[in-house]
Amino acid sequence: MLKKNFMNVLIPMLSILLAFIIGMIIILCMGANPIQAIGFLFRGAFGTVTNLSNTVVRSMPLIFCGLCTCFAYRCGIFNLGGEGQFLMGAMAALAVSLLIGAEGPWVTVLAIVAGILAGGFWGLLPGILKSWRGLNEMITTIMFNYVAVLFMGFVYTSALREGSVPQTAAVPDLTKISRIFPNLRITWGIVIAILVGIAAWYFLFHTSKGFQLRAVGFNPTASQFNGFSVKSYRLMAFVVSGAIAGLGGASDILGTQFRLISGYGSGYGFDGVAIALIAQLDPIATVIVAYFFAVLRVGSTTMQVGSGVPTSVIDIIQALVIIFAVAGSAMMHLPTVKVFFSNLFGKKEAA
Amino acid sequence: MDGSTISDLIIATVRMATPLLIVALAELYSERAGMVNIGLDGIMAFGALVGFLVCYWTGNPYLAVICAAVAGVGVNMVYAFCTITLCANQIVYGMAINIFAPALASFIYRVVFGVSSTLAQATLMKTVAIPVLKDIPLFGKLLFDQTPMVYLSYLLVIITAIYFNRTKSGLNYKAVGEYPKAAETMGINVIRQKYIACIICGFFAGAGGAYLTTCYVNTYSDGVVAGRGFIALAAVIFGRWTSPGVMMACLLFGFFDALQLRLQIGSNLIPYQLFQMIPYVMTLLALTLLGNKISGPKANCKPYFREER
Repeated sequence: MLKKNFMNVLIPMLSILLAFIIGMIIILCMGANPIQAIGFLFRGAFGTVTNLSNTVVRSMPLIFCGLCTCFAYRCGIFNLGGEGQFLMGAMAALAVSLLIGAEGPWVTVLAIVAGILAGGFWGLLPGILKSWRGLNEMITTIMFNYVAVLFMGFVYTSALREGSVPQTAAVPDLTKISRIFPNLRITWGIVIAILVGIAAWYFLFHTSKGFQLRAVGFNPTASQFNGFSVKSYRLMAFVVSGAIAGLGGASDILGTQFRLISGYGSGYGFDGVAIALIAQLDPIATVIVAYFFAVLRVGSTTMQVGSGVPTSVIDIIQALVIIFAVAGSAMMHLPTVKVFFSNLFGKKEAA
Repeated sequence: MDGSTISDLIIATVRMATPLLIVALAELYSERAGMVNIGLDGIMAFGALVGFLVCYWTGNPYLAVICAAVAGVGVNMVYAFCTITLCANQIVYGMAINIFAPALASFIYRVVFGVSSTLAQATLMKTVAIPVLKDIPLFGKLLFDQTPMVYLSYLLVIITAIYFNRTKSGLNYKAVGEYPKAAETMGINVIRQKYIACIICGFFAGAGGAYLTTCYVNTYSDGVVAGRGFIALAAVIFGRWTSPGVMMACLLFGFFDALQLRLQIGSNLIPYQLFQMIPYVMTLLALTLLGNKISGPKANCKPYFREER
């Protein structure tokens, strides 16, 4: 058991290291100095208090999207619709805060609830299609993503447009989620994100319902014979994971972004999938990996300015991390590798 | 709607359906060997970039498509090695490809054209009319005055149908996707067959991506694929894992794509985003109405452990 946990930490760490080495080779091939570039990266992320706070701000939506994928996949559902559910949550929260005609903390709460409901609803639709018609959720959630993105386009160009620029009005000042420190951009949203992470971890690993949900994901047939309602657990996983993403959208629009613009939230869904997979589907690890992603994002802008290396090299490093992490954990299940490691560990114990 | 509108619509349908068809056939070859590859979207994005670059540098769209296809094989070999040899989860790995390949494509584009890129344009593939057939009244000019990619993709539909139903090698191929252990017992090399399936899949998916930048638009931009890989996946399910069925599904989805473009031009009152939703909503609707209780190859998506009992 200890060995298994050790491997679960070691594999992502090695993958990150390996991905960074390849990333540095790429930077070297471009004729830049990789050490200097990485230096700029870390200075951009941790150099000043403002930068440090930016990494925390940036990590909040990623944490929610990672948890969204993580929760659903524990029930055997590959929810690729994080982006759509996130956007629906953001749109619902924005619509409530703009259309209710008042401002204040109670509107904030109402807007967040609206975001949760909208995200949950956007997760419920593919859930119904799966349980009622047996449709593959990977295809349906992607289709719902595109519908949500286009719907957002409709919202900021027509429905809630303000002025000549294609964007919506901003969330009223008193409705915004308040900041923890007056002069930094960190809001209470990050606290919500971490609490959701802890709640998901507690639910999945320390309650009987969470156990049953994971059992459904692990072996639906056996769960069915044990009398667990496979269908309702799956539906629940869809709704809860959508609601988590919706809450993320609401917290982001009310705390950080304030208005919808073109390209908002683009790629968050796939980032969430990557984060959850690198974190080996552990909610607490998901929070940590999401922060790591945010550090790379914030730092890469400074790197681009400082050393001329384009920010997209960070996307490659991230993608390589997931490729190595998944291959690594798959390799651990191969019979020959298993034998090799049990020999290795066996010898150590003998010596 | 007058005659020219209808003929425009048919031409657009064929043009929109072709990339879907090529990629859906790629997925068909993959799934017939039990390999579900949801990384098509990523392979297409990479193919689109390679096709564009080669076309930009050499001005030869045919060479571009071939290079893109080879690049597609290269990307898909990462998937193949990890899912076949390492027995990793196919869905997870397909997703890894979906994240990795577009990132690589976007990075290469920025390295080649600089961070603040000016819009680079390449030549498009010219249409080649088929001498006698194009003179058929009504449909001749519509169906037989297209790019060679279109003809090749329809030829591929016929070849695929014959291969899987009428040849011994095709039946062996299908056996790998249905019951690999029995296939192995009969002397079929399952691992090799799965690798071959991945090579075919990568080849066509890369070519389908290149279609977008050599026959459809003459520039590359991030997100040029726009979920077509996933629509192609839906087309395979909708077409019930047969090549004529896949073709019909792709034509249907291509028609909705063409229709939304036409409706966008025709209407100023309704926001264009609502029309752009049509292909995605129709894919959902089509699957909901007709896509239930059908099953693909039996061993689809299952890793094959040779030593397992």
